[in-house]
Amino acid sequence: MTRTVTRIDFRRNTQNVPAPIRAATLKNTRTAVVKRDEAVQRVGVEYWERLRQTAHDIRLHAITHLDRYLPLLESRVTEAGGYVHWADDATEVYRLIIEIARKHRVQHIVKTKSMVSEEIALNDALRTAGLTPLETDLGEFIVQLAGSRPSHPTNPALHYTKEFIADLFRRKLGVDAPPIPTVLTDIARTRLREEFLRAEMGISGGNFLIAETGTLVLVTNEGNGRMCTTLPPIHVAVVGIEKVVPDWDSVAVLLQLLARSTTGMDLSAYTTFITGTRAGGPREFHLILLDNGRTRILQDVHARETLLCIRCGACANICPVFQQIGGLAYDSPYSGPIGAILSPQLFGIARAGDLAFASSLCGACADVCPVKIPIPKILLHLRRRAVEGDAFEKPVAPVAVRAGARVGAFTFALPSLYELGTQILKWVQQPFRHGEWLPAMPPPLQRWTMTRPLPKFGADFRAWWRKQKAKRDA
Amino acid sequence: MTSSRETILNRIHNALRESARHEMPACPDEPRLAGDETARLAATLAAIESLSGKTRRIKNQSELRDALNELVQTEHIRKAMLWENQFLRELGIANLLSELDVELVSLQADKHVLAQCDLGVTGADAVLPQTGTLALRATPSQAEVVSLLPRVHLAIIRPNDLCADLREMLARIKHDSHAVLITGSSRTTDIEKTLALGVHGPKVFHVWSYEPSI
Repeated sequence: MTRTVTRIDFRRNTQNVPAPIRAATLKNTRTAVVKRDEAVQRVGVEYWERLRQTAHDIRLHAITHLDRYLPLLESRVTEAGGYVHWADDATEVYRLIIEIARKHRVQHIVKTKSMVSEEIALNDALRTAGLTPLETDLGEFIVQLAGSRPSHPTNPALHYTKEFIADLFRRKLGVDAPPIPTVLTDIARTRLREEFLRAEMGISGGNFLIAETGTLVLVTNEGNGRMCTTLPPIHVAVVGIEKVVPDWDSVAVLLQLLARSTTGMDLSAYTTFITGTRAGGPREFHLILLDNGRTRILQDVHARETLLCIRCGACANICPVFQQIGGLAYDSPYSGPIGAILSPQLFGIARAGDLAFASSLCGACADVCPVKIPIPKILLHLRRRAVEGDAFEKPVAPVAVRAGARVGAFTFALPSLYELGTQILKWVQQPFRHGEWLPAMPPPLQRWTMTRPLPKFGADFRAWWRKQKAKRDA
Repeated sequence: MTSSRETILNRIHNALRESARHEMPACPDEPRLAGDETARLAATLAAIESLSGKTRRIKNQSELRDALNELVQTEHIRKAMLWENQFLRELGIANLLSELDVELVSLQADKHVLAQCDLGVTGADAVLPQTGTLALRATPSQAEVVSLLPRVHLAIIRPNDLCADLREMLARIKHDSHAVLITGSSRTTDIEKTLALGVHGPKVFHVWSYEPSI
């Protein structure tokens, strides 16, 4: 099942974000930013920066040695009694899970939050096969009940108020629900407990895969991750191939960064380590390693650091664009700055290319990324791909943008033309000038001046430089 | 016909062929807590309190009995399960609970029966004072469900359990098939960023340190 290639119109999406979602996103992302800062201060900025650099190097080492670590991981998992499957794309994952479910006559499936599963629209596919996995992460449970989509990488129900959720529980669960978060949580707890106990299969994602011992690492807070991977007799984990790390020392570094970046806690409430099968646990453990375009990202040397991501959501929380509009406007399971570079590469620039332009390149995301992904650099690289095309993509930017880029490149390359251009600008701007400012420009530049004025083109750096040089040489 | 495994590994091989591979870095030493065992246990308990856990320091059997009595009364404990390991046997937890009219459920029971327990009592395989984290290995006698299903989880820790840093804690559990690091209570802020405890895991988390020498 592939998505039809309809272009994501990011600009139009941002104009359709309801006010309550905007307000909730702004409030919640700002809280998250403060909490992350406090966590960094507690551990010490100097140590934090050393951790980030180490984490970056560990992750880059891992993905540039995937051909070593994936087979090693596979041996270890198999030795420990688990099954390892390799899936090229979404359809293979569906086939594998349906096969396992049919073989064991599975009727009830419980599921933890997993972005990979959203990437491949797993729930929809399983539904057509008569199996509906129940989301058990509270935010995802709410989003599933509402028939909607997550609006933030790690905080899926961020955009819902407690009043909305109370009303939702009343309608869909038939319970009398006051708009109090603790009470609403209790209602979900009771309802989901029954499901955990009767499910025949639990599906999870995975935060890391430790090659050294074949261990799956799950970082959670609620306890549903533990429930889904302990109680049902079958556990299936779907994990992207890029999640591999070499050893437990690597995991120690990454765990020190992950929870602090996501919620500002030192560690999440539960960090679970699962190696194959064990007495008293699920009878069968299946690990599905998914490619779905990751090897293509690996091939592009300028963009492969996209794969370092450990899915913390810190970039989304600090992004001034994301703060204003939330995740739904990205129309992708991966939103915010990481979504802006990952979505075009996974789903194609024809579909998600707009997202690479959805940034002011302020660089805040790169400052907070725990694995130091150079997001602005990759955004520029993807913009170039959209405009010029390369070995991976045909150009998809509109003709006007491509022509404008060509003209700009030509002009900037010849010093005489550049200088002529700056002189012409001083004349051309006159009709639009009001004192020191250009408050309104004609299309397409009116997009800039819609919300703020442009300062007038006045200073002449070359003239100043010539004068300075003359003074110095005199 | 090439399997997906071969296809994927071939793609990786081709992708990495032309480029420089990145070397594995050295990992920085983690900040450690100063002080002796008593101080570090105190720090552990303080960290757990800040994460909404409830803590106590136990010096002897008499205090243990009183503490359990108080717990059973306050939390209305009727059924309990516990780790069937040497430490808890030495403490006589099972007997103490029976004396308080608490029904003990065997770890061999069906999961629906286990889910009816109000209290789960465990030890810990490792403790990290910097973050108040407890590491629990899952084995047949240290079943995962004991610290997961009941409404109340009581963990009893000892000076011996203390680790210097996270790397040491992980080294203690890496060769087992299943382990969990517990840092505070089950929690979520999914609804309007408001903290709610005890989502799917235990609602109440008690950690007692057993320090007979102090």
